[in-house]
Amino acid sequence: MRADISPRAKVALYGVMCVLLIPFVFPTWWMVTSSIKPISDIFAFPPQLVPQSYDWTTYSKVFELQPFVRQYWNSAYIAAVVTIGTMIISSMAGYAFARIRFPYANAIFMIVLLGLLIPSEVTIVPLFQMFLKAGMVNTHWPLILVPIFGAPSVFATFVMRQFFVTLPAELEEAARVDGLGRFKIFTRIALPLAKPALASVAIFTFLHSWNLFLEPIVFLSSAEMFTLPQALTQYTDAYGGPMWNIQLAAATLTALPVLIVFIIAQKQFVEGLAHTGLKG
Amino acid sequence: MADVTLSDIRKSYGAVKTVHGVDLDIKDGEFVVLVGPSGCGKSTLLRMIAGLETITGGTLNIGGSVVNDLDPKDRDIAMVFQSYALYPHMTVATNMGFSLEHRGASKAEIAERVKWAAGILGLTSLLDRYPRQLSGGQRQRVAMGRAIVRNPQVFLFDEPLSNLDAKLRVVMRGEIKALHQKLKTTTIYVTHDQVEAMTMADRIVVLNGGRVEQIGAPLDLYDRPANQFVAGFIGSPSMNFLEGKITEAGFQTSGGVLPLPKLINTEMGQTAVYGIRPEHFRLSDHPSHASVPAEIVLIEPMGPETQVTMKFGETQVTGVFRERINGAPGEVIHVSPEVGSIHLFSKDGDTRLN
Repeated sequence: MRADISPRAKVALYGVMCVLLIPFVFPTWWMVTSSIKPISDIFAFPPQLVPQSYDWTTYSKVFELQPFVRQYWNSAYIAAVVTIGTMIISSMAGYAFARIRFPYANAIFMIVLLGLLIPSEVTIVPLFQMFLKAGMVNTHWPLILVPIFGAPSVFATFVMRQFFVTLPAELEEAARVDGLGRFKIFTRIALPLAKPALASVAIFTFLHSWNLFLEPIVFLSSAEMFTLPQALTQYTDAYGGPMWNIQLAAATLTALPVLIVFIIAQKQFVEGLAHTGLKG
Repeated sequence: MADVTLSDIRKSYGAVKTVHGVDLDIKDGEFVVLVGPSGCGKSTLLRMIAGLETITGGTLNIGGSVVNDLDPKDRDIAMVFQSYALYPHMTVATNMGFSLEHRGASKAEIAERVKWAAGILGLTSLLDRYPRQLSGGQRQRVAMGRAIVRNPQVFLFDEPLSNLDAKLRVVMRGEIKALHQKLKTTTIYVTHDQVEAMTMADRIVVLNGGRVEQIGAPLDLYDRPANQFVAGFIGSPSMNFLEGKITEAGFQTSGGVLPLPKLINTEMGQTAVYGIRPEHFRLSDHPSHASVPAEIVLIEPMGPETQVTMKFGETQVTGVFRERINGAPGEVIHVSPEVGSIHLFSKDGDTRLN
């Protein structure tokens, strides 16, 4: 089919695609270039698409003004724990809902799914009070426990259940004849076959945790405990105005791991997101 | 290797009864085929023997012990599934050795058994491949390899050839039979294909609606079906049935009078069903007292034989002849049934009358 497109149409097609690309690429370009401009150049008119002068000190200031390494570590380990925890819980719950016959399984699954309909803004105040009583405010526990047992895990359970429902029953029966019990069937047969679904769960859970903003600003109060999205808001001058170039340098560093992973595993990303029915 | 005894085995799903008390004695080393139309309960019966379905009533005995409440893994059986059910993420060798691994066999023992099974089934060069890299016939062989590697007491096959094309099915049919002759393991094989049943079984169990219709050697079932259902199910093309009355002159049908075999428990004037297999018609050159006229509807030359669809009064019947027939639709030929191969059944089809 492609061979049928005339060269002229091809040029036009590429032109249209380049124009459509602008809204996607421009913000990233602006973030990266502005992070190395002096602050006056960011607001220069006409805008400088390519920096005229470079100020690399913004990157060192990112680390001077905030405990940025610590905050980077906070975000990374919280996202890792949340991702692994969600994968464990959602795969087991999804398998149970899909494969184990127990009374009212479908009704219970529907009730679990209802959790997706409640916006996190509605539950954040009661959650805050709960964690306050438990002495967990200004710790990372809320940022780990809420996603693992909350809406993101419900969605992950849904994805895993839908995958396990499609797994041929004969495979499990063969495993039963081969001598495996329920748990080993899960770990040795079902789980290895669920890799594509698990990968998509891992991707969106990691992104969700990495980008979490509302919960950190509610639960955390000291800079040492901050996660990256929250830390970005802290690069302000004495009057509370944002220090744009430093903030954008920190934003670039925050986006970097996601960008690198995306570039390396672009195919898996797209397939994974397609698998979940989520948009990128 | 072991005997398998089913005593009054029943299965219900709530109020719905699917298997109504099956009694069956399978001798050590026997190859028994369960055959019947879709929904007759044959797969359910096999799955109950495997332990994949609970047994609602009755007793299942394998190798001298009652196994009703044992898990599949404790029954010492191996099963080949319709879809083969090979683990997609494991190589052929791992698939075959998987059950041994879970029964605590040493690595050396697993390797040796897998090598032995692969040798028997011609899989030695495929051991490092994944199921997706194999053809249908090769997958089928791996599924059998997985079953034999453990040297179980009983092999269970659940329609294992139905996913293969016609040619491969014939080849694999031979291989399974040859494997059984080599290993002599008790085998229970489920199929809906009566040709498979006829060619492979030591004994066939014909099931219908969750009940056993007849149990017997393939040729016994072919020669002396106990009722109209078995008569119609065994044999291809299937037996012709004609309704009519038993009279002094013979069997009176709408198409004429047919010769009768020796009868038991019948009365003159009794309505009955006359069964004759397509291959048991003979062509007559001239009309005679033993022949009846039939109008040709369709002629299908098969090469070694000719299949003719004929109209016999109001009833359409099929005949298979060794001769080549140069007739045309609408022409009348004279055919006579072989008296020794006639089957007569009661009107409801439940009882054999000769």
